[in-house]
Amino acid sequence: MSKPRGFKVLIATTRVPFIDGGAELHAEGLQRALREAGNRAEILFIPFKWYPPERILDQMLACRLLGGREADCLIGLKFPAYLMPHPRKVVWLLHQHRQAYELWQHPMGDMHAYTNGAAVRQAIQYADRELLPQARRLFANSRNVAARLRTYCGLEAEPLYHPPPDARNLHSGAAEDFLYFPSRINPLKRQHLAMEALAQTRTNVRVCFSGPGVEPGYDQTCLALARKLKLQNRVEWLGSVSFETKRDLYARSLGVLYPPLDEDYGYVTLEAMLAAKPVITCEDSGGPLEFVLDRQTGLISAPTPEALAAAMDELWENRTAAREWGAAGRDRYSSLHIGWDHVLEKLLP
Amino acid sequence: MKVLIATSGAPFIRGGAEILAESLCDAVNAAGHEAEIVTLPFESWPPSRIPEQMLACRLLDVTESCGQTIDRVIALKFPAYLIPHPYKVIWMLHQHRTAYELWDHPVAGDLIQHPDGPMVREAIRQADRTLLPEAKAIYTLSRNVSGRLGRFTGIEAEPLYNPPAHAALYHPGPAGDYLFFPSRITPVKRQWLVIRALGLCREPVEVYFAGEADNPAQQAECTRAERELNLTGRVTWLGLVSEEQKREHYAHSLGVVFPPLDEDYGYVTLEAMLSSKPVITCADSGGPLEFVVHNETGLIADPSSESLATAMDALWADRRHAATMGEVGRQRYQDLKISWNNVVEKLLC
Amino acid sequence: MLKINWFSPLPPQASGIAQNFCRQVLPALTVRHETILWTDQDSVSPQVERLARVAHFDPANPPWRALNEADICIYHLGNHGGFHGGIWRISRQHAGIVVLHDLCLHDFFNVVFLRGLKKPDEYLAALERWYGAEGRRAGEAFQTGGISAENMGRRFPLTREAAHGALGIVTHSPHTLAELNEKLVCPVAGLDHPFAPAAESVYRAWLAARNRTPGPPYRLVVFGYLSTNRRLESLLEALSRMPERGQFHLHICGELWDETHIRAEIERLKLEPLVSLHGFLPDAQVEEQLSAAHLAINLRFPSMGEASGSQLQFFNYGLPTLVTRTGWYRTLPEDTVRFVRPDHEIDDIQTQLRALLADPAAFRGMGECGRQLVKNYAPETYVEALIHFASTCLDQTAHVAALRLAGKIGCDLFQWLHPAGSEHLLEQASSGIATMFEHTPSCAASSKTSL
Repeated sequence: MSKPRGFKVLIATTRVPFIDGGAELHAEGLQRALREAGNRAEILFIPFKWYPPERILDQMLACRLLGGREADCLIGLKFPAYLMPHPRKVVWLLHQHRQAYELWQHPMGDMHAYTNGAAVRQAIQYADRELLPQARRLFANSRNVAARLRTYCGLEAEPLYHPPPDARNLHSGAAEDFLYFPSRINPLKRQHLAMEALAQTRTNVRVCFSGPGVEPGYDQTCLALARKLKLQNRVEWLGSVSFETKRDLYARSLGVLYPPLDEDYGYVTLEAMLAAKPVITCEDSGGPLEFVLDRQTGLISAPTPEALAAAMDELWENRTAAREWGAAGRDRYSSLHIGWDHVLEKLLP
Repeated sequence: MKVLIATSGAPFIRGGAEILAESLCDAVNAAGHEAEIVTLPFESWPPSRIPEQMLACRLLDVTESCGQTIDRVIALKFPAYLIPHPYKVIWMLHQHRTAYELWDHPVAGDLIQHPDGPMVREAIRQADRTLLPEAKAIYTLSRNVSGRLGRFTGIEAEPLYNPPAHAALYHPGPAGDYLFFPSRITPVKRQWLVIRALGLCREPVEVYFAGEADNPAQQAECTRAERELNLTGRVTWLGLVSEEQKREHYAHSLGVVFPPLDEDYGYVTLEAMLSSKPVITCADSGGPLEFVVHNETGLIADPSSESLATAMDALWADRRHAATMGEVGRQRYQDLKISWNNVVEKLLC
Repeated sequence: MLKINWFSPLPPQASGIAQNFCRQVLPALTVRHETILWTDQDSVSPQVERLARVAHFDPANPPWRALNEADICIYHLGNHGGFHGGIWRISRQHAGIVVLHDLCLHDFFNVVFLRGLKKPDEYLAALERWYGAEGRRAGEAFQTGGISAENMGRRFPLTREAAHGALGIVTHSPHTLAELNEKLVCPVAGLDHPFAPAAESVYRAWLAARNRTPGPPYRLVVFGYLSTNRRLESLLEALSRMPERGQFHLHICGELWDETHIRAEIERLKLEPLVSLHGFLPDAQVEEQLSAAHLAINLRFPSMGEASGSQLQFFNYGLPTLVTRTGWYRTLPEDTVRFVRPDHEIDDIQTQLRALLADPAAFRGMGECGRQLVKNYAPETYVEALIHFASTCLDQTAHVAALRLAGKIGCDLFQWLHPAGSEHLLEQASSGIATMFEHTPSCAASSKTSL
């Protein structure tokens, strides 16, 4: 059951030039789905630089002045692009500007380090509260993102899941001896936690990391940590890999290791499920927790190296459970009816 | 170097500028740099939206991205060329034409139809005068564009020619019995002038038109004129053709007739030259005049149906001369050293 | 040379601007500059059509393309809603030079918004825009009859509403404008009201005619479009109470706002033998009246900030005049007129009439001083000054775009910008706008920029 076709849809999001980010995949996936359903869809990538904090204000105003009034509707995905005015705007929040919200004064946030960080934070929160309700409808990438919006802004957004980019092509295979941790290498994804945990496992767990380094210095930190903990033989750093390689790695892995901090959504979880692999995640990982069921489709551990190590050991030693949990994860994915049809149904007029 | 190519575009419209930006991006990447395109949405109606979007461009910050310097910005169009950057090079495809030479054009003039028109026109001119000099260097698409820039804004800029897409694939072929005219069907391209001229030809000249009308009324106009002048059989409307088909039509034509009104540049002329074909154009055609040398690589007629008919007859009657002129045209193209290497070198020096 | 779109009431419209001002200015203007006279009147006098092309516009659907072919629009606004309403409607959509013939325009907006366009919310919005909540409340009270029009006009002249978005403003009473405290953000030019004085020989002939009938009885004249602010009732009252009244004869020449009422007053005050009502007079008879008159009575209160073309005419004829000490009249030289204080009208009128009886020569001298004042006026001077001003304003057209943009952004920011962020962002936005659109004299005429 699909919506009437032939709309002109603009997708408003941001781009950090020269940086590979997951958000482009979301916009591109949406665009592809819209086009396949017979609509015309274009993505507006607004270049975004968030430092120093007052730059953010400039770009907020810039977005208010830009816009695609010609389109039948505008779907806003990211701050501050979702501030663009349009009479039929729908916001599908990937996340708000996290540094002004849950990452404020968090070691992994940066805004509080600037003199006028507090002022800009106030301005961002105020603008979100005043302008988000201008949208016809408000959706969120996940329950986690919706919960943050409720907590900080008192606004209600309906969670709306979507398939990961390569959903159609992911497949399963016989498990080999490694856990797979695909992700951009940055502190929020906590590759360092994975390594600290790896140093404490009883068994000879091996982990394969793939993904582009985006945080200057952090990959160096990780490599140094690997050397310090003498994990060189148990860890593989693949950097950016093609979709094909990634699919293959998912298929051959024993399970997927994904312990980010308060993830918005987490394609990795869904990709793992589509590849019928169990997921090890943490209690504070956010998005993955909406999908992983402890001891049914994977393991949820405390976010400490010891606990995580124990979970990794458990999976390493219990290959049957790993296989069963993986299969259960695949079933769970199907049961959630995550599909683009459903998304378009919700987003289009 | 990290190079950001900044352009503006009306959403859902894909034209020469988009293709050029992509070719430039490919060329810069091929030269060993990292290039990316940022396309800002630009809607020019109603006129009051223009100053808003100009300011939006001024508010963006593309000096660096995630800690990495963006070394150069190459800006192609208004208002994207207003984005501030310490090392901005403008390769101007054109200014906002209806604020300049198209202000009172009977069909294209849009600002003149609106009460805000004069005010917005002055705002655009003022901003161009003040801010274009910010650029470290300004190049243009052609001498025609440079000429307008000099006349209206008092700025001198060197033309920087670029090759048509897939230049290497154009090739000569035995001359057949038709003149070829590939272009959007629209009044400024002046298919109507060619049809009127055909009506006055003494030779049994035939013309193949390739391309689609901007709007159906324009096509209807042309076919009506064709009927009225009893030209059935002399005119063929090919509609939208593939790139390959287009190249074939060039190769097998006797010559190309391309008499647009004040064309910015005119890839058609270059495509003809690459196909070793003579070009018939008009004295007010703009861009083509930078390449066509009268009686050497083609014929330059007055912009009247009589004069154009005479030129078409001349080509039709003297096949040998047509072929020779085609060869000379091909050589002239080579001599002009139009290449992406040259473009990239100039823009990034 | 400029291509001009001229918007004003035109003959045969019964308006001082049409009859006096345009008659003076248009010949000088149209000979120097390509002018189109735009009108929403049903008809225009043939004499005007001989001067320049007359084009008709519909205020509800203005012909923008045609209008945009000229270099500039010059809009003449005055307090009469009927004559100027259509012109104002265009002026607020399309920036041009606005000539404010009156500066106090509440009456005008009352008529245009409330009676013409029937948009009371726009009337209230205009009051609020310039005078805040107080203005709005007063407007609401006015609509229900709780406040008088005079009170509203005094407190809320709405000059800025008429000037809003203009490229430039012209006034013939710059002092009055300054006093009104309606700060205008666009350039303002204070120009002397245009006038083409009669040749000296003609003037001498008038003097001779006047001297042939030196009076008493002294001929008092009142001229023009006579509404309540011309103080006729005070004049009649003052005259009726003077024992010496038989030494005067009052000639009322012009359209009366309420003829019946004035006739009734004349009757009540038993002034029939001393007052003649002439109605609207053709030119030849105007000349007759003015050359024979001994004193012109040109009282105005309250003043709408208008300069008086008719006053210049009185000076032209060498006529001493009684004026109210208010507005533009306040700026007239002491030796050319006698003043009446608005709060002592009857007393002052009587004082001056008695002064005339006592020393007619002094009054003749005053008339001569007035003549000296205007004998070198030329409409060409006015036209030159007006067009020069218009040209300099044209250079600043982008500035209007800047203001418009700033206004729009201000409204948007008001919705979502927290005070914590305002200092930075307002600074960025305004400097961004200023950099782009403000004309700097040292704009590069040519800069070699490549290689």
